[in-house]
Amino acid sequence: MNPENSQTPQTPQTPQDLPISQPETQALPSVTESIRKLPGWRFWLPLLFQAALIVAVPARDAYTYAVGKPVILQTAPVDPYDLLRGYYQTLRYDISDPALLRSLPGGTVLAEGRTSTRFYVVLEAPAASNATPPQPWKPVRISSDRPTDLSSNQAAIEGQFNGWQVIYGLETYYMPEDQRQQINADISQAQGQNQESFVVEAKVDTAGNAVPSSLWVRDRNYRF
Amino acid sequence: MVTEKFRRQLRQESEKWWAEGLINSELHERLAQRYQFHQLERDASNRFVSILMALGGILLGLGVITFIAANWQDWSRSFKVLLLLSLFIGINTAGFYLWRRSPQHGLQKLGQGLLLLGALILGANLSLMSQMFHQSGNFYQLLLVWGLGVLAMAAGLHFTALGVLSLILIGWGYGLGWVNGAISQDGSLWQGVIQHMPLIASLLFVPLAHWCCSRTIFALSAILVATSLVFNLRPLSGWLSGQLTASGWVAVIAFTLPPALLWAYHRGMWEFSPLPSRAARSVPQSSLSGTLQPDPFQPIARSLAVWFLTILFYVFAFRWLWQVESSNTAAFFPWQPLIDATVLTIFAGLGWMQLRHQLRYHLRQRSGVQEKAVNTGTVAAMLALTAGTILWHFQSAASPQIATLIFNILLFGLAILLIRDGLALGMRHTFWGGMLLLVLGIISRMLEYNTGLLLKSIVFVICGVGVMLAGLWFERNTRPRRSTLLKPPQEGMS
Repeated sequence: MNPENSQTPQTPQTPQDLPISQPETQALPSVTESIRKLPGWRFWLPLLFQAALIVAVPARDAYTYAVGKPVILQTAPVDPYDLLRGYYQTLRYDISDPALLRSLPGGTVLAEGRTSTRFYVVLEAPAASNATPPQPWKPVRISSDRPTDLSSNQAAIEGQFNGWQVIYGLETYYMPEDQRQQINADISQAQGQNQESFVVEAKVDTAGNAVPSSLWVRDRNYRF
Repeated sequence: MVTEKFRRQLRQESEKWWAEGLINSELHERLAQRYQFHQLERDASNRFVSILMALGGILLGLGVITFIAANWQDWSRSFKVLLLLSLFIGINTAGFYLWRRSPQHGLQKLGQGLLLLGALILGANLSLMSQMFHQSGNFYQLLLVWGLGVLAMAAGLHFTALGVLSLILIGWGYGLGWVNGAISQDGSLWQGVIQHMPLIASLLFVPLAHWCCSRTIFALSAILVATSLVFNLRPLSGWLSGQLTASGWVAVIAFTLPPALLWAYHRGMWEFSPLPSRAARSVPQSSLSGTLQPDPFQPIARSLAVWFLTILFYVFAFRWLWQVESSNTAAFFPWQPLIDATVLTIFAGLGWMQLRHQLRYHLRQRSGVQEKAVNTGTVAAMLALTAGTILWHFQSAASPQIATLIFNILLFGLAILLIRDGLALGMRHTFWGGMLLLVLGIISRMLEYNTGLLLKSIVFVICGVGVMLAGLWFERNTRPRRSTLLKPPQEGMS
């Protein structure tokens, strides 16, 4: 059986010689040639894409941190360890409780169910706004669309409700490893005396996106 | 794609041929030149060096990460951002320009190591950036974004190692994301990516496998596509709570689409070619796609299809799987994954239509030359039987015993066919795979059914005699035909 015939049927008159130009049997140095001739843009374009990914990840939060309005929130924390990102505090707020939210005007949008709903909670600043430690803002109402009629001492934060849990994007705060134990001890001591002495300062922008900026434990401020 | 093992063997054999006088020195010299025999040692040492470089690169990366972590809180935020970005760009650029140099000085290997390090630094950058701004998000989201970034670089440079890394990252992210989606259903973009992973993986990774000419990338991406198809459709949902809530058709699609798609895979799969012309029929199957080069990935795709079937049959041959009945109310209907399944079914359908002409030939020549026992016809029959049994169980749940019996027949049948192929074609892996499957099947059945020892001995005797008779029958049927393998191929298939 003639092996060439099954591979090159259109040139039956090829001499009794192995076909030279079949790609699988090309000599190997050509691979190195193709690497050397690789045009620069084949590298720079993916690199630019990767840099864009790196910058895009924190972009919105960086903007909020730079230009947002400071808001104080009352807390109730928990504490785990994340694989890649070091120690962080998991934070929960009084406004993370679905029962509390449902009792506010407009809270019926958070009905029991498994679909995720997006909503806005409007917070109002307390009367004495320049005390240290700062006093937490109180939630006054819920609305399903972004509220446009906010007065100067109010702010709206966007939240997601997935049927049993409320998420604002404010649930994690990263702290350096060596200070974590000490801060934790401080927080639990302060909470033992007075539940309301641990508050979180966050920055909120006009679209409702919120970023945690520092922790207030009694009158001490921890900013990282 | 000529492998290094082949070149080594060829060098060894061609020395022998030259010594025995089968080839003259000129031919030996030409072979040596074409396959670069003298390069073999250098290639081996280059490979060793590159492994060391990769290991060194990983350790270096870990060292840099730990150093940064040690000094992290002393630096201001903008300095940290600047440091991260410059480290990232610097290492990648150095890696790229070193990689382009000639391989003599080992600088190319260093460049490869640096590019891999750069991919790891991308991950570090992403996670540290999100940490600096206190973002809450799941780990699987980070993995998906990281994998996407690495994929872009792999696609641009046609660099296999980066492709494998991005595949591992995206696969890991998919796994974690699927678990996350099973626990809490939120309709975010990330869960959308998880739901459409089969299509996304096949669109992103199969072209990459072709560009890099890498079998590893193809095999891993095929595994990802197949497992994501099965898991996304959730065909056995509700099994743990005692009542199967998925619909029968969804289960059929989930279990028969991956092997069908893998079996029918070849490079020109998406071309709809009507009945091939007379001239085309006399050349190998792959030329229907327009190239004369046999598809390098088809054997892998086919063996992965066989693997899928063996695992499927093994698991489904257990009796306790079928004890759970199906409720006729489908509580969970997977709309999104079904879109993916539909698109992939269309591709599989096109591929099978191109195979049907091969199928028809085998059906027509029942006692003719069967080169492989596990061929298109048998695979089609097994898939049809699987689909029928699953559908019947879900729709009427008549008797779990018959379903178990059918799958046991399929399991042992496949094992015997694999053994036969291994013996007839001299493929050691196939033979041992079939033997292993047979042994596993027999042991599992023995452990599963608690019957008396007498019955077990009877069963073993019958099985043993049956296997011997089957073996003798196969050989008697194929022995007179084996001489026809040496004759020129008849009209139709070679």
